[in-house]
Amino acid sequence: MVVYSFYIFDRHAECIYKKKWAPRPTSTGSKTQQANGLADGAPQPKALSAEDDAKLVFGTIFSLRNMVRKLGGEDDRFISYRTGQYKLHYYETPTSLKFVMVTDTKTNNLRIVLHQIYVSLYVEFVVKNPLSPIEHPGGIGVNCEMFELGVEQFVNASLMS
Amino acid sequence: MASNKAARDGEKIWKTNVDKVNAELVTLTYGTMVAQLCSDFNHKYGEVNQQLDKMGYNIGMRLIEDFFAKSGVQRCGNLRETAETISKIGFKMFLNITPTVSNWSADNKSFSLIFDENPLADCVELPNDGRAQDELWFSNIFCGILRGALEMVQMQVEAHYVADVLRGDETTEMRITLLRYMEDEMPPDDE
Repeated sequence: MVVYSFYIFDRHAECIYKKKWAPRPTSTGSKTQQANGLADGAPQPKALSAEDDAKLVFGTIFSLRNMVRKLGGEDDRFISYRTGQYKLHYYETPTSLKFVMVTDTKTNNLRIVLHQIYVSLYVEFVVKNPLSPIEHPGGIGVNCEMFELGVEQFVNASLMS
Repeated sequence: MASNKAARDGEKIWKTNVDKVNAELVTLTYGTMVAQLCSDFNHKYGEVNQQLDKMGYNIGMRLIEDFFAKSGVQRCGNLRETAETISKIGFKMFLNITPTVSNWSADNKSFSLIFDENPLADCVELPNDGRAQDELWFSNIFCGILRGALEMVQMQVEAHYVADVLRGDETTEMRITLLRYMEDEMPPDDE
């Protein structure tokens, strides 16, 4: 399986951590895409900056989560969604931290994995690090070497194999 | 029923999932800190209370994450459930005490926690300067912790002590009032 990217959003809707691995494939139609991006009237997917990407992801999960709650009751939650190209896994802690992982479509449910990242990496290295701020206003984000190393190792060891 | 389950869960987490430290170390560390604050603020106890609350608030915001990581508790449905969880799982897990939840207000928005034991205040006597007994809330850090922790689960509360055995009261009682449930924050608009 392949992990494309990983995001954490805090309760202020701020993306506090993002990491990209393999680039996510954009739809590769049979026709070669043209540089002007308007061939056949279909706009070619533009490469997004990392920030726009995170904003889009947040917008999606935010609406999806609210919709799920409206339809399925307050306690309902969405776990993942799948498109033809990728699968997005979602885990939200009771403190409104949102963990998002984008993988290829063949991946099984990663809810437990995301929970594991929260419990044994985020809480241990970010929350319990007394010098790391609790809130990350203005998009500074988690800047914690131990955590980054941990995520890297964890993903390589348990997911990329 | 829910309260029994909370008690069982609390017991189990305490036994299996928590690193313990020496209680006297906690008492002495906390006592030293309060004493230092008292001397830093020239025994203006009002300010000491405030500082303790502020420190607690910062602790609470972190502690809640540890609480969820270790306990696996889910979001509570109402304030009664929250109160039981605070007492039987929260306090149990971190301090091995279970304060009694009581004195519910008629609108179910405020309650008291009665502390039969308080590890922070073992062997403590308030100074006999005629003011400490009336002004200092020795364990005020708890109020801040609860305020900080509950804020992270979108509950804005007000917490203060109303009685303390250290002051000669019969019980140690903290009053907690739910002010409001906070809304989800939306991302700022782009344009």
